[in-house]
Amino acid sequence: MKAWIDTHVPDFLHRKWVWIVGLLIVWFALGRIFKGVHTLDIGNSEDTPTTEVLGQFAANIRAARAENPIFVYIFNPFRQGIESFVEVIRAVISDPAPGALIPVIGWFGILAIIGFLVFATSNWRTSLLSMVLIFGCGVLGMWTYSMDTLALTLGAVVLSLAIALPIGIWAGLNDRVMRAVRPVLDLAQILPTLVYLAPLALVFLIGIAASTIATMIYSIPIGIRITAHAIRSLQNGPIEAAESMGSTRWQKLTKVQLPMAKRTIILGVNQTTLAALSFVVIAALIGAPGLGEPVLQALSIRNIGDGVTAGLAVVFLAIMLDRSTTAAVARSNQIPLTGKPLLIRRLSLGAAAIATIVAVMMSRQQLWAAIFPETLNFREPIGDWFDAITEWFTTTFYFLTTSFNEVFTLNILNPIEYLLADAPWYLTIIMISVIAAIIGGRAVAVLSAVLLLLIVWIGLWNDTMITLTQVLIATTIVMVIGVVLGVAAGRNEKFERVLKPFLDAGQTLPAFVYLVPVLALFGPTRFAAIVCGVFYAAPVVVRVVADGVRGVPKEMVEAAISSGSSTTQVVTKVQLPASKKSLLLGANQGLIFVLAVVVIGGLVGAGGLGYLVLQGASKPELQGKGLAAGLAIVLLGIVMDRIAHASARRS
Amino acid sequence: MRRNLTKRMAVLPLLAAAGLVLAGCGDSVNDAATETATEEAAVATEEEAATEEAAEVAACGDWAIAMHGWVGYTASAQVVAEVAQDALGCTIEQTQLEEAGVSYDAMEAGSIDVIVEDWGGGRWQEWVDRGAIQEVGTNGNVGLIGMYVPQWMADEYPDITDGTKLNDYADLFQTPETGDKGAWYEGPPGYTTIGEKIIDAYGLNYQVVSTGSEAALIELFTQAADNKTAALGYFYEPQNFLAQVDLARVNFPANDWTDPAEASGLTDYPESPLMKLATTELVESGSPFATLVANFNWTNDDQNMVAADIEGGMTPQEAAQKWIAANKDTVNSWLAGTGASIS
Amino acid sequence: MTTSDPAISVRNLWKVFGPTPNAIVGTPDAKLSRPELLEKTGCVAAVNNVSFDVADGEVFVVMGLSGSGKSTLVRCLTRLIEPTSGEVFIEGEDILAASKARLRELRRTKFSMVFQHFGLLPHRSIIDNIAYSLEVNGVKKNKRHARANEVIELVGLTGYANHYPEQLSGGMQQRVGLARALAVDPEVMFLDEPFSALDPLIRRDMQNEIVRLHDDLNKTMVFITHDLAEAMRIGDRIAIMRDGAIVQVGTPTELVLNPADDYVADFTNDIPKSHVLRVADIAVPITDGHVSTSQPIPHDAIVRSIMHRVMSDPDPISIVKNGQIIGCVGRDELLTVFAEDVNEELNA
Repeated sequence: MKAWIDTHVPDFLHRKWVWIVGLLIVWFALGRIFKGVHTLDIGNSEDTPTTEVLGQFAANIRAARAENPIFVYIFNPFRQGIESFVEVIRAVISDPAPGALIPVIGWFGILAIIGFLVFATSNWRTSLLSMVLIFGCGVLGMWTYSMDTLALTLGAVVLSLAIALPIGIWAGLNDRVMRAVRPVLDLAQILPTLVYLAPLALVFLIGIAASTIATMIYSIPIGIRITAHAIRSLQNGPIEAAESMGSTRWQKLTKVQLPMAKRTIILGVNQTTLAALSFVVIAALIGAPGLGEPVLQALSIRNIGDGVTAGLAVVFLAIMLDRSTTAAVARSNQIPLTGKPLLIRRLSLGAAAIATIVAVMMSRQQLWAAIFPETLNFREPIGDWFDAITEWFTTTFYFLTTSFNEVFTLNILNPIEYLLADAPWYLTIIMISVIAAIIGGRAVAVLSAVLLLLIVWIGLWNDTMITLTQVLIATTIVMVIGVVLGVAAGRNEKFERVLKPFLDAGQTLPAFVYLVPVLALFGPTRFAAIVCGVFYAAPVVVRVVADGVRGVPKEMVEAAISSGSSTTQVVTKVQLPASKKSLLLGANQGLIFVLAVVVIGGLVGAGGLGYLVLQGASKPELQGKGLAAGLAIVLLGIVMDRIAHASARRS
Repeated sequence: MRRNLTKRMAVLPLLAAAGLVLAGCGDSVNDAATETATEEAAVATEEEAATEEAAEVAACGDWAIAMHGWVGYTASAQVVAEVAQDALGCTIEQTQLEEAGVSYDAMEAGSIDVIVEDWGGGRWQEWVDRGAIQEVGTNGNVGLIGMYVPQWMADEYPDITDGTKLNDYADLFQTPETGDKGAWYEGPPGYTTIGEKIIDAYGLNYQVVSTGSEAALIELFTQAADNKTAALGYFYEPQNFLAQVDLARVNFPANDWTDPAEASGLTDYPESPLMKLATTELVESGSPFATLVANFNWTNDDQNMVAADIEGGMTPQEAAQKWIAANKDTVNSWLAGTGASIS
Repeated sequence: MTTSDPAISVRNLWKVFGPTPNAIVGTPDAKLSRPELLEKTGCVAAVNNVSFDVADGEVFVVMGLSGSGKSTLVRCLTRLIEPTSGEVFIEGEDILAASKARLRELRRTKFSMVFQHFGLLPHRSIIDNIAYSLEVNGVKKNKRHARANEVIELVGLTGYANHYPEQLSGGMQQRVGLARALAVDPEVMFLDEPFSALDPLIRRDMQNEIVRLHDDLNKTMVFITHDLAEAMRIGDRIAIMRDGAIVQVGTPTELVLNPADDYVADFTNDIPKSHVLRVADIAVPITDGHVSTSQPIPHDAIVRSIMHRVMSDPDPISIVKNGQIIGCVGRDELLTVFAEDVNEELNA
């Protein structure tokens, strides 16, 4: 058969893309013919047999919460334990006791403590930056919100690390443990944040405990992954040497592996912290106090300026946490001080400690140091300023944004949505599976078909396809941006330096902060959700592509140039093909990131599965449908991830 | 620092602890705050000659009010919060949360204690059955949901306000979002709606578009009124926006249901008195805040007045304080039984 | 020190990697060549039926190309890699029968190892690196630092105690590696290509250092290398490994003069004989009593090193071993050796 194909089928038919394009044409034609047939479209408040079962299940759990022993003796005490832990931190930095004016420490004391801690673990420059940023949160008028966010983040990080570090170390040392946790870590990586909120709330209700637990679920896998990687990627030489000198396993771990892995582990702390911070903001949806609240409020009542101001405070916190932990990594990497520099360092630490203690005392006794002064609070002017900018922007570019939105929706979004959502469901499944077979192989095609059928069985096929449409389009845009900017940044260091702060900000800003301005520009449309997805995912993809392009061996590029290639030829014939792995990795990351945000798009009217998740959270009678939508998101995520992975492996 | 780092890190908590101990020694602003408050109260009582009353106010405690995503709710909740803080000395936390299920769960967890305006239409019953939540009466506002178009459309197409004839105008409402159907804008996912049922029941050639927020609905109608564009969307009273922009209600046959789950889709939304909910913990605490919440009651006009100020650029605190100052009698009627009053 | 009992005795040692390591030794498969074995069983015998003895105080070099199994062999001796089968006795103790705890104790006190890539702990200062095995053995800090300072001096690192590995050059880092191996005053040292990662000039220095340390301390050493010149310079005896098996064991001279097969000959051909042969190997009996009156040459001097003296003396110079004159070397003998070297050069 294969031989027959080889001899009788023209050459161009051996190319995958020819087949894919052909399939798309067939798909499009059939989709037109059977438009609106068997689309499995159901109303938002309509249940299916599966969602009803889930709804009943949810209702049973809710009913069990008050009396069932599992709740009474395990879940509820666990919830209360977590809550009290976080409340202790809040009591110190953000939440005054009843009748009190300030928490245990006033703003000035907190500023000093942060400055001191960063100074002790890194250097004075980072310390100063951290203090400026924290002070900035006050200037933005977000002091208490920021401290709440910080308290929740710290609480979640401490608890997360207490779990992630031991498991990560264990998984680093033991292959069997690694094999056991890897699927969980992989799943966690593709699970959009919005998905855990509902099931968690079912068990841990709504509030600080649920937010903290959700944040932990989000950040623990990241901590485990990096810690395990830290242990695994150690050079073998020193470890073998330690073994040859008769170390016990414990000695080897504590005297050799952990100290050597420390740098990467601190990096893990950094990543865990940033992940926790971004999640704590989203966790406002399940009752987390802090900066997520003004953002959420800004989304629901017209207050764009305030939302952006709060978003800015999130960025300040993120930069502070990122820079201070990064600087701590750098410091832990330095050769220890000795002699005079050490003495100076010790003296300055001592002085800083005394200053900090004085500041803390003042912050409890002097009003100006206790409560962030109103005269330094520029929340309103800053908010007004952002409002004015947005107002100007929306009115000036109203026609541009709306007409762009319109053209895009009519010519790209709708046709693709017709293809996926308005064609008969079996046609879509067959086509997706065949395309999966072509680019990823038979196994992945079968998996895709099975998972998609499962979505049909759940009964949320149509909504899933609406979400898929947005994800695919956003990912395509992200890839275009990612390749263009990534190649430019990978080839040109100057450009990369210009781009870097934007990428940093883009990556640290929690996704749902941009919903506010995007909503103002594009209104409640699917396009708005796509734009948010693009904003969120583009920085990551640009990074991955830039790294890939930079990773292409210099000799290869030089060889191409010396054989007379033009710049375009160097890019298209050498740098891009050679960094194909990074491009595919970028595409995979892009898909997952986009999915995470497009789902949140339910908040700005993008419909689809995100809407159903949110609806289920509010309407108890539709909670089953919300849970089912969460499940469908996970299944969709797995399908896309597996197809992307398989195609990466094949290339 | 490699070797010294661990040593020095061990010193940090010690330093921190020492700092806290030292800090603990001095007079705290927290104590000072209580003192000032007491002094102020003393001054006040002398001036007002209301010594006995002030002395009888029981300790209020630390409570949380849910904040929902529409401005009318913000107005109600902010006024209750301001009165509780100023007159009763309560510590009130305001927690931004989606309505209904999410908030009931938050009440069951003890994360919030009060919802001052609930449109949920009895969805809370199961939480009441579990003993977590209690109904504490209506808040005086009467809610009415409906579908609206900008006034200019009603002027131009008089029939358009007859819901059963909406199909004649579906073309006007076509958007890129809805293709060849008319766009039927709904509120956020949590809002009570029977929009899909109406579309089904009358076979309307419309497609539901969810807007995700009140802000988006307001934006929609503002654009429609300003630019004379078409818009058909969900809206509700009390909402002061209705006083600012002329909207016309699209009418369906008179209402015959209360539980949205049982609505046929053939009839309009009902007028529904809006409910206040509180946790059993609050109700049974004996805190004056429980009394305040139970007594809180005002009209749609009152709410619209505060909401208008918030929409007009005041902070919710400013707007609430302005209304409180202008309506002392009403506020004092809410405070009846707590022993406190404002002046 | 008795010469009768070997310090290390290895018998029929096997290390098989692959899916069924235990199903090879003792079966006909064990006789298969490497590619055949891999084809048939998916296994590789990295150490293939190796037996040898190392005398007390001897420097025993294992020489082979990469992949010949020499690094696996040395690790099997101290069970850093568990051998598949065979026997290893060190100082009379059955190593393969030792419990985990006993093995640790042996590693802490009796053996030590030097690694190709040094294996220093980057987060510890030089002195703490050197004192590591004392530390894990529970030696108190001032005591272990005192000992570490002794060996620091011994390897010529005085003044660097508080530096960190990354501050030192490669050659100095390996001195730390040596010092660390010496710190416990081991009975046997295993050196796994210790100088392969160093520049040629530094490598020469370090080889001399090893010769010097060995002369001073007289430790038993097992030295792994892929460099025949190094093997010749350092080793008392050399084992040549190929595909996991030992092809030939012998003194440098034996290997050069009597290679066991073409494989060994291929190696030794490249070595100028004058660099390897010792004067005793080319000495001729004193037939006519016509010998130079100058100082006799010790029997183990390398031929090349006495070239100048012999060529500048018209008469043969006598060779002594243990105070006895065993023969003499004159210009003729020397020229024969050099002529062979030149021929090799021309043929190559």
